Amino acid sequence: MLHRDRIPLSWAFLQAALVVAWCFTDMETGPNGAGVSVTQPNGDRFKIEGRAVVPGVKTQDWVSTARIFVEGEEFVGFVRTDGSFAVNDVPSGSYVVEVITPNYRFEPVRVDITSKGKMRARLVNYIKTSEVIRQPYPLQIRANGPQTYFMKRETWGWTDFLMNPMVMMMVLPLLIIVLLPKVVNTNDPEMRKEMEQSMNMLNPNPELPDVSELMTKLFSGGSKPSSKAGTSSKGTRPAVKRR
Amino acid sequence: MAKLILLCLKCIILCSTVEAVFEDQVGKFDWRQQYVGNVRFSKFDAQVQSSKKVLVATENNVFASLNIRTGELFWRHVDTIGPEGNIDALLQHGQDALLVVGNGRLLRSWEINIGGLNWEIVLDSGSFQSACLIGQQDIVKHVAVLKKTAISLHYLSNGHQKWIENLPESETVDYQAVYSGGNGEVYVLGVVPHSHIAIVVYSLDDGEIIKQISVEAPWLSNIQASCAVIGEGMLTCTDSATVSLYMLDLESQIEMTQIPLQSLGLEVTPGFQPVLTSTQPNAARPPLSEFFLQVGPEQHLLLQLNDGQIVTLRDFNPALLVSFATTGEKTVAAVMSPKNATACSLNLFSAETGRRLLDTTLIFPLDPNGGKPEKLYVQVFLKKDDSVGYRVMVQTEDHTLTFIQQPGRVMWTREEALSDVVTMEMVDLPLTGTQAELEGEFGKKADGLFSMVLKRLSSQLILLQAWISHLWKLFYDARKPRSQVKNEVTIENLSRDEFNLQKMMVMVTASGKLFGIDSKTGTILWRHYLDNIPANAAFKLMVQRTTAHFPHPPQCTLLIKDKDTGLATLHVFNPIFGKKSHVTPPAMPQPILQSLMLPVMDQDYAKVLLLVDDQYKVSAFPSTKNVLQQLQEIASSVFFYLVDSSQGRLSGYRLRTDLSTELIWEVVVPTEVQKIVSVKGKRPNEHVHSQGRVMGDRSVLYKYLNPNLLAVVTESTDTHQERSFMGILLIDGVTGRIIHEAIQRKAKGPVHVVHSENWVVYEYWSTKFRRNEFSVIELYEGMELYNSTVFSSLDRPHAPQVLQQSYIFPSSISTMEATLTEKGITSRHLLIGLPSGGILSLPKMFLDPRRPEKVTEQSREENLIPYAPELLIRSEWFINYNQTVTRVRGIYTAPSGLESTCLVVAYGLDIYQTRVYPSKQFDVLKDDYDYMLISSVLLALFFATMISKRLAEVKLLNRAWR
Repeated sequence: MLHRDRIPLSWAFLQAALVVAWCFTDMETGPNGAGVSVTQPNGDRFKIEGRAVVPGVKTQDWVSTARIFVEGEEFVGFVRTDGSFAVNDVPSGSYVVEVITPNYRFEPVRVDITSKGKMRARLVNYIKTSEVIRQPYPLQIRANGPQTYFMKRETWGWTDFLMNPMVMMMVLPLLIIVLLPKVVNTNDPEMRKEMEQSMNMLNPNPELPDVSELMTKLFSGGSKPSSKAGTSSKGTRPAVKRR
Repeated sequence: MAKLILLCLKCIILCSTVEAVFEDQVGKFDWRQQYVGNVRFSKFDAQVQSSKKVLVATENNVFASLNIRTGELFWRHVDTIGPEGNIDALLQHGQDALLVVGNGRLLRSWEINIGGLNWEIVLDSGSFQSACLIGQQDIVKHVAVLKKTAISLHYLSNGHQKWIENLPESETVDYQAVYSGGNGEVYVLGVVPHSHIAIVVYSLDDGEIIKQISVEAPWLSNIQASCAVIGEGMLTCTDSATVSLYMLDLESQIEMTQIPLQSLGLEVTPGFQPVLTSTQPNAARPPLSEFFLQVGPEQHLLLQLNDGQIVTLRDFNPALLVSFATTGEKTVAAVMSPKNATACSLNLFSAETGRRLLDTTLIFPLDPNGGKPEKLYVQVFLKKDDSVGYRVMVQTEDHTLTFIQQPGRVMWTREEALSDVVTMEMVDLPLTGTQAELEGEFGKKADGLFSMVLKRLSSQLILLQAWISHLWKLFYDARKPRSQVKNEVTIENLSRDEFNLQKMMVMVTASGKLFGIDSKTGTILWRHYLDNIPANAAFKLMVQRTTAHFPHPPQCTLLIKDKDTGLATLHVFNPIFGKKSHVTPPAMPQPILQSLMLPVMDQDYAKVLLLVDDQYKVSAFPSTKNVLQQLQEIASSVFFYLVDSSQGRLSGYRLRTDLSTELIWEVVVPTEVQKIVSVKGKRPNEHVHSQGRVMGDRSVLYKYLNPNLLAVVTESTDTHQERSFMGILLIDGVTGRIIHEAIQRKAKGPVHVVHSENWVVYEYWSTKFRRNEFSVIELYEGMELYNSTVFSSLDRPHAPQVLQQSYIFPSSISTMEATLTEKGITSRHLLIGLPSGGILSLPKMFLDPRRPEKVTEQSREENLIPYAPELLIRSEWFINYNQTVTRVRGIYTAPSGLESTCLVVAYGLDIYQTRVYPSKQFDVLKDDYDYMLISSVLLALFFATMISKRLAEVKLLNRAWR
């Protein structure tokens, strides 16, 4: 029993004790020595050249914020005032070359350098790493637009509200019910005749009782005793009589 | 078709989990500060009188241009870390700045107005010695670069090489300096230590050797440290042994003339090596004949060479720093001399006469918590009335730059120590007096109903008063224009906000300067420079007492350890005010191996810090009787581990009641094959809210939540790309039991690990496919828990189920951390610092080993994303939009008072602070909440009911009449 009691206490301490403990164990993480440069200390060094273009923007407006990364931050190059760049002292190998600017988006390019210094540029494909889709070398990198960092706020506008399918379903029939009788002049006798004709066309069997008429009769009949002078019944009655 | 559906599904899920910044949130709760590092070279743009630029090249391989009005950056270029990007020299000519980089490997020319590169050329190999601009007939067209064995001359316009010549006898002669007086000759000065000076004169036009002389100088060992060229080609050297100056006319003489300083009536502080400072304002003309001679730590002399005679113009005693500056044809000398304990005074003197210029006194305030001034950079300009005005930039030991304008106004200061933050903590701000009083009400013992009621009422009254004054302030501020309303944060008005979103960031920098920064605005509230910090110190910052124990001040402890000797010291301070605590830390004569913070508190609510020395003895701080007694009680349940990466040993210890230790387990990783790279435990302040995951069929998969679990990362010693591998070991820190082991073949570091809850995420470089890959390991207990009430490492018979999955990541990464919230309810995101400077917030949901390859009904029920090998980087996921953090080295996350909100600080060369909402803001109204809409709808409904009610009444009335 005593032992059981101690367990919760112990793990609370352990948690604290262990987690704090790792910091002071001197560890050499040193990524500096692990580059390609170490494996070929005396090999030939080559130069990756190219040009970066941001369409529609003057080079002097963006070159001061731009850098060329070869394989992460392993080799760094800078962009000249005319947009061209060169990264010096790169040993042979295969590298991903990127143009890094905070405001514009550039596609990375993979550059292969043979041990004799032959260069080849191709599209970066991380899944099929050996696939070759050639790109021009010296590199021609065009920005494909500004970086989009921001989400658009969901703004509330009348158009959004009206274009909502639910609202459309409710509003459109309402409009038809309210507006149609006003647009079509029902007092014109010719028009009425036409309408009646079309109604007859729709209703091929005049003997068969119309469902809607049945319903109206039923309801108007039902409401008659309770309220003798409903405004609505007043309006409909003459119409029924006429027919 | 199925693929299309999958894609659609994926898109929907992606969109639903997107957590991004909105454009109107820019700068609302985030800020960034950009730094350059400790300045090595600095040049004022002397081209234009009204220039606003100062160029700086720093020890962090950064070349930047600062605005002298504000101290902000115009532009900044960050080169690679390490010797390849090291800046050896900075020369300025007109609109161009020349840099020699990487021990003379590259020569770069920058356009300083727009910050673009003019040209860059690769120089021949050889270690760099010196560089200078070469002019002829008042026009500077060339730059000379002196290497160990060769000298080359390049055109300034395009960098093309004019000529390169091998230096004669370069095996024996140590060539150190190059000089040109503008007469078409290039002098190369070399020395054979303790023998003679070798002087080689080249023709500027074709690089032919015109003359080659050697001059006896057995006392000389280093030209750059003790010699300078003065006047018309007069090489002058100092010798501390004989206390004299040696002079040599480079054009005519072949022997040095000795001038004992005593003959000039000068005395040198014994043991001090005199230092010469000369000035050459125009590279096409010889240097001026005036020069400074430093004869003691605080004594400088302004001397003049007049027809071969040395004349003392003025004696500056005491003077801390001196500097020459030139504008047009006028050259002045600026002298900084100590005034009192809190300030230094600066004065300008005419270089020709040594007379003090009127109205040129400046006061430089000395920070009592800062370092001594180290370097002085002066910018002089001619005023309208032809008198000389000046501004100075003072660099101090603690890497601070202070810019002062006449008459003694500090324009700006830059704390460049912050470019190298080592570790940091976020500390809650203290409650204000009223808040503390309210809190105190609940803590006290009840003393009668009536008095309690009274107290309640009075505290409510205080609250009301505070609220009214707040309202009044709001109203008052609202009438003023927006720009005038400034909420200046000072140390006095600091207090916790209602959601605890504002905290004190305590930052420790490599130079040994500590900072307290307000997390809301980024204002530096206090700074404290610790001198005598060893050069390769390791720091560990611990919060011993938080602000929660009111009458006791909060307390932080910084452990500073010399990596070579292992000796450590403690610095105890108050994190809110930065003041050193009156608590005396214990002296530690033995090297310290390990330190651990226990959750045990002493009677003053300070947590106990245990320090393990190399004899495996444990000492406690604070070590009062109370603490020792508590330690004895709990000793049997305190375990800790030590890592010895050089011997590949990981060992677990247990505390005995007499504060000695006992080895209980040991794991040895053979160092011939692999080495331990990092060991990561879990964060002690992490909370896990749910014990398991609900599956599609409504059963529960329980997480394996072992608080003692360690993730040990190893890398192979063989770095060949076919044979290299990395391993990960999951070890229980109490028992030493290996829970899981995984090996990744054809992989290498740097490995980044995040260990939290029941998962470990790590990233490595796959040498086979040349890409970065992420791997995630999750541990589960299974469908039922072994002991649901408590976890004990000693009593866990079943091994956990291990799930693992890997993904491709299309970028390398610099650092990685997981978000942290108060209660752990909010879903987790990984914050990934990329080399490009972006900080990516990747939902943990994408790194889930249960992501299915085929979508089933159950997986859809569980909201699992179908497996895709490549993780995408979407620019909307960058939490710092275009505010990139260059060379990000660490990300610190801290919970806030709101469950939805996690505070994030990313530090590297820059510092960026922001908040993230991994599950969006579910506990507060969003800041785009449309109050107008909701109130207008409510009002409209209200009026509609009113009107319809009225209408109904009318109708009823009408009906009743009928």
